[in-house]
Formats: sequence, C-alpha cells, structure tokens
Amino acid sequence: MSTLAVDIRDVVKRYDQHVAVRDLSLQVPQGSVYGLLGPNGAGKTTTIRMILDIILPDSGTISIFGRSNTERGVLDRVGYLPEERGLYKKMQVRRMLLFLAELKGIRPADANGRIDTWLERFDLSTGDRNWGEAKVDELSRGMQQKVQFIATLLHDPDLVILDEPFSGLDPINSQALKDAVLELKQRGKTVIFSTHVMDNAERMCDSVCIISRGVKVLDGSLAAVRRDAGARNIALALAGGAQNGVGEVLRDRSLVRKVDDSTNYFELELAPGADSQVLLRRLIDAGANIERFELMQPSLHQIFLQRVGATGVETGMSGHG
Amino acid sequence: MDNKIFIVAKREYLERVRSRWFLAVTLLIPFVLTAATLFPMYIASRSGASNAVRHITILDATGVGLGQRVAQSLMTDSSFATVPGDTVAPRVVAVTPAELPAREQAVAAEVRLANHIVGYLVLTDSTVAGKSARYAGRNASTIGDMDKLRSAVRQEVMMARLEREGVRKDVVNDIATNTLRLNSERLTERGRSGSGTAGIFAGISVAILLFMSIVFHGQNVLRGVLEEKSTRVAEVVLSSIKPEALLAGKVIGVGGVGLTQQIAWFAIAAYLMNFLGPLVMRGAARGATAAASAASSNVVSSAFGGISAPVLAVALAFFVIGFTFYAGLYAAAGSMVNSEQEAQQAAVPVIILLMSTWLLVNPVLVNPNNRLAVVLTWLPWSSPIIVPLRMGLTSLSPLTIAGSMVVAILGCVASVWLSARIYRVGMLMYGKKPSFAEVARWIRYA
Repeated sequence: MSTLAVDIRDVVKRYDQHVAVRDLSLQVPQGSVYGLLGPNGAGKTTTIRMILDIILPDSGTISIFGRSNTERGVLDRVGYLPEERGLYKKMQVRRMLLFLAELKGIRPADANGRIDTWLERFDLSTGDRNWGEAKVDELSRGMQQKVQFIATLLHDPDLVILDEPFSGLDPINSQALKDAVLELKQRGKTVIFSTHVMDNAERMCDSVCIISRGVKVLDGSLAAVRRDAGARNIALALAGGAQNGVGEVLRDRSLVRKVDDSTNYFELELAPGADSQVLLRRLIDAGANIERFELMQPSLHQIFLQRVGATGVETGMSGHG
Repeated sequence: MDNKIFIVAKREYLERVRSRWFLAVTLLIPFVLTAATLFPMYIASRSGASNAVRHITILDATGVGLGQRVAQSLMTDSSFATVPGDTVAPRVVAVTPAELPAREQAVAAEVRLANHIVGYLVLTDSTVAGKSARYAGRNASTIGDMDKLRSAVRQEVMMARLEREGVRKDVVNDIATNTLRLNSERLTERGRSGSGTAGIFAGISVAILLFMSIVFHGQNVLRGVLEEKSTRVAEVVLSSIKPEALLAGKVIGVGGVGLTQQIAWFAIAAYLMNFLGPLVMRGAARGATAAASAASSNVVSSAFGGISAPVLAVALAFFVIGFTFYAGLYAAAGSMVNSEQEAQQAAVPVIILLMSTWLLVNPVLVNPNNRLAVVLTWLPWSSPIIVPLRMGLTSLSPLTIAGSMVVAILGCVASVWLSARIYRVGMLMYGKKPSFAEVARWIRYA
C-alpha cells in the first residue's frame, strides 16, 4: 500500500495505571490533510509520539511511506511540531536551525540557503535586522513560534505532524500556519494534525479520525464521516402548511421517524433506511408547495459530541491528548 | 545514527567552547592553582630572617661579653638574605645591671626616632642562665627575624657555657653550627623517582583537577539535560534521534569540553610552573646563597615535572572514564526532574558518591598503600580520582592500573545503561518528581 503515508496496525500502549491507546489502527492517505481528533487525554499525543518512534508501542506496527518507522532514515522525511513547543534559548537562531536540519540529514551547505529563504518568508530577516543572527531568547514569542515552524519544515518533509498546532498562536501566526498547511497539501505533502477544536479540522481536513479514551471511534474522509453520521435531518418549509396529502406523507413511519411541526416549518428525522429523495418525490406527488427542502449535514462538532459525548472526557485522566 | 551522535556532540562541544565562561574558567584555574602553589613558597622564602636583624643595638648587661658573641654570630650567619653593600653590624653596648633601665630608655627613644636602628636586644644574667632575653623593635612581629635572633642568642649561650665547661672551642663550634636538613626521596620498585614532595604536589594537583572537572562537567550534563527537558526542545530533537544517541552525543560533547579543558589546564600549569616558578623563587630569594635558591626552584619545577607522561596519560584516561560514569548518573538525575531545585535534590546521591571519594583523598595522601587506598582503587566511582593520585604518591603495578581501569569501565557501562533507561522515560515525563519506586519501574519498562 504505497499510497499510505502512515499505516498504524493494532497498536497498544499501556502505562502503569491505564491503557493510553487500545488496538488502534488507522490509515493516513498520502497527500491528504488528516485530522486526529479527540478530547484531552484521548491518546492523541501518545499516538503521535509512537508514529515518531519517540515512544515504543507495546504491540502493533507502524509504518511510514511503506517502511517501518524504526528503520533508519524513515523519520528524516517527517517534520514534527509538538504541542509543548521549545527551542534552545541560548543558541543563535541560525545555528539552532542548522543543528535541527542536520539531525534530519540535511547537509549544512544546503541548510544555510534554506534557512535564509525561510527567514525572509516569515519576515525574520528584513533589511533592518536579521534575526537569524540573534539568540533565540532575544526573539518575541510570536517570532519564536515562526522559528519553530521553520524548524518543522526546514528539511522539506513529506509528512508533517502538528500536535495541537493552533494552541497559543496569535491570529497572524495562526493564519500563516493554515496557509503553510494548504501549500504543503498543494505540493503533495501529507499533513497530520491533532486538535480538539473541530472548526479548524472541519475547514482544513480531508480525512479525520476521532479517538476517545485510546479507542478509535470513527475515521474516514470528512465527507464520508458526515454522510455516515447522518444527514438524517431534513429542514422542510411549505407555503400554506401541510395541505392535501402532505400530512399523510409526513405521518408515514416508514419514511419519517419524527416530525417537529411548526405549521409552515418542519424538522424531520428520516426513518432508518429511508431515502430523502423518495420523501421529496412523495411530497411533490402529494401536491406540496415546497419552499425549502434541505438535508442538514451535522457539523463535525455535532458528530464529535454525539459520538464521544460527555463520557469521552474521563475525569482524572491526566497528561496529553 | 552514529552520524547523529556526532552532530549532537558537535553542538554540545561548540556551544560550550564558544561561551565566555569556558574561556574564563580554562584560563583562570591554572593561574589560581599556580598562585596557590607558588604563593606559600614565596611567603616561605620570604619568611627567612631579613637584614634588619643586623640593624640593632645590643645592650649587654651580662658582664661576660655575650653581646659581642651574638653580634659576631649574626654577622657570620650566611643563611639569611643580605643586601649587597650593607655591612652594618649590630652595635654592642656593655652596661651594668644598675644603669640598664636608663640606657634602655635612651635606646628605645633612638629606635623610635632613627631609621637605621630597627630595635634593641637586652641580654642579662637570666640570658646567661639560659632562661630569657628581651627584644623590642619595629620588626618584633616578623617571625623569621625573631627566630634568627633567638637561635643566635641560644647558640652563643650554649657555646659560652660549653667553653666554660672546658670543651674545646672547635668542637663547640662544630656542634653548635650543626644544621640538619632532612632530604626526602621517593623509592619505588623502579628505582628513585624525584623528590617526595614533588610527588605529593603532582598527585594532589591531578586529584584536584580531576575532581573539579568531573563535578563541573557532570553538573553541566545535568543542566544540559534539564534545559532540553524544561524548554521542551527535547521532544523536537527526539523526533529526529533516539534518546540513547542524544544522551551519548551529549556526554561525548560535554566530555570533549572537559578533556580540552584538562589538557589546557595541564599545559598552562606546567608552563607557568616551569617558567614562572623559578622566576618567582629567584626574585624572592634574591641575595640568598646560590645553593638555597637553586634548591627551592628545583622543588617548584619538579612539582609539575613530577607529573610524568604515564601519569598524565592515565589521568586523562581516568578523566574520560570517571566523567562518563558520573555524567550518566547526572543525566539520569536531570531527566527525572522539572526544575533546578529538584535537580539539586535528585543529584544528591551522585554528589554523595563524589564527595565520599573526595573526603577519602586525605587518608590516601597520608598513606597511599593502606587498605583503604587499595579498596578505593577497585571501586568504579572512586578509582578515577584515587588511581592517578596514588600513581603520584607510590608505585602501582601496571596490572593494578589496568585492572582498576577495566573495573571502572564496567562501572561506566552499568551507569550508562541504567541512566539511558531512566533518561528515555524521564525526558517525556512532566509533573511531579517521581518516587524511587516509579524510577525503578521506568528502568524495568524502558
């Protein structure tokens, strides 16, 4: 399966007191933007750390671009932005970036040119001042965040993993990150990011996986997830109300499970197995004067709440997502 | 992987060597140590009697001419510094016991007013009886001068009494001028090897430098690990390199800094001792007899000359081993905790190991061949300091040196293995400081 950027199979990770990740399998298609969603403590960071071979799974296998993630050189193609970000404070920015690039197997000569390009792109090297020559702790927080992005992307990774990338970002850097993700996708790179902010995921992801308490709740392309989650709700507006045979159609329990009637406006929940198009045709045949017939797809946020629920956030579960 | 260890080591090395602290410490320590060695020697050479002893008035109320004898003794004594062209001799005034108080007052006034008289010495019947003499003068608190005066008076009293008892004058002279000196020389299985004091100097210097370096750079490893953990940069780095490799690179890099510093220290100290030492001593001993001057500067230059090439090589090898042993433990301590204060607590067991060795240096120094010294030679946490120390003090068979090195290396392997496991888990554990039981679990699970 060479089209998979990441292939996780039956991975288990236990800690002393609890199981952080339980029989997790997930496939991240190459070239996609993949959202790893879940409440705090769901096992997101543990999963990411296992992908990066920072911690070892108790059992199961993880491969990146078809090769085991423990193989030499495989992780050189991965860029990582951890949730808890940090840099060597006393180091010169350029030297630190050079060091991190070298660790990813980039030759110093190549790295230097790339550092210049990135510093300019993020306005860290202007005519007035080249922050590359400054020490990291002389930089403002926002600038340090930019340096951290550069460190993640400097070696032009094919797979970029961002753990809660938007937490603590100011709006400008937040936008810069979204642009960067979009550009990576256009260049055919794969991006995995974890978040518990569903809005960001909904706007940026091709595919998602929701995990809760170390167990996968659902995964797949965003469209499929939303389709599967429902579109069982229909907003219906009729000019003149439920006249003629319309009322009869709405009362048909093989089509409609529930009706919320407000004279001219109805919220319907389709019966299990019923087709919304059949319902529409029946309504027209019954002479309904339809002003609005809309399949209401649930938002990711709704799906998340519905599937994970309040129980997903187990009390007393500490540590990272 | 190996390449990545090198990249980490390179960063650790360059970042540290570039800092001003490194330069300051590397250059300053040899100066301080040299000064600490040379200053007492300089003071010692200075504390001999000065010429002032001759610029005195002797009030002789003995009636037997003891004053004249003392004056002569002071003039013929060649053991103290003379200023060329200064031929002033003590002035001897014979007085009766009755007029002594009046004359004493007059001389005291003279001493206060005139510069050319430093003080006055009063000799009485009590002096002849071998009980007491009195001196008053501006140099009364100069130990060397007072010693010289006392011994001159004592010697002349003794000689006068011996003569009175009928002993031949040349015999008396011979007995009285006998100044015995104990020259010590170290004997080893391989024959004579320099002066005993030089060996002690070399041994202590090496032990101090080794101890300081291990503590200093071990702490550096701890601080480096803690920095990576507390700034959270560790997670980025660990996504590129295995924790064991990161740890190895760090230890190698910091150890390289220590090794560079050691070599610089030895080189600078040896240079200072050989070049500056004789200079200082010559300046101090200006005017002393040539033989005394040459003898003292010999002691100084052989102090560091006493560090022979094999001792130096073994010392450096043991620095590497000892540093690795302690660096591993320090790294483990650093990876367990979240703050500088906690780190100091976590490092306590390591410091106890180090300090216990350090406290036992003195007993080993006094007797480098007793059972304690032998035991410490075979313990991996003490041998890196004790073996080079003992090599300077006594002779160790090559087999003992090699054997203790092997044991120390095994200790190193154990220390590094243990700390790598703690480090692997600890680096990503935030929150409260782990208990002993938790750390034990990390070691098992890692």
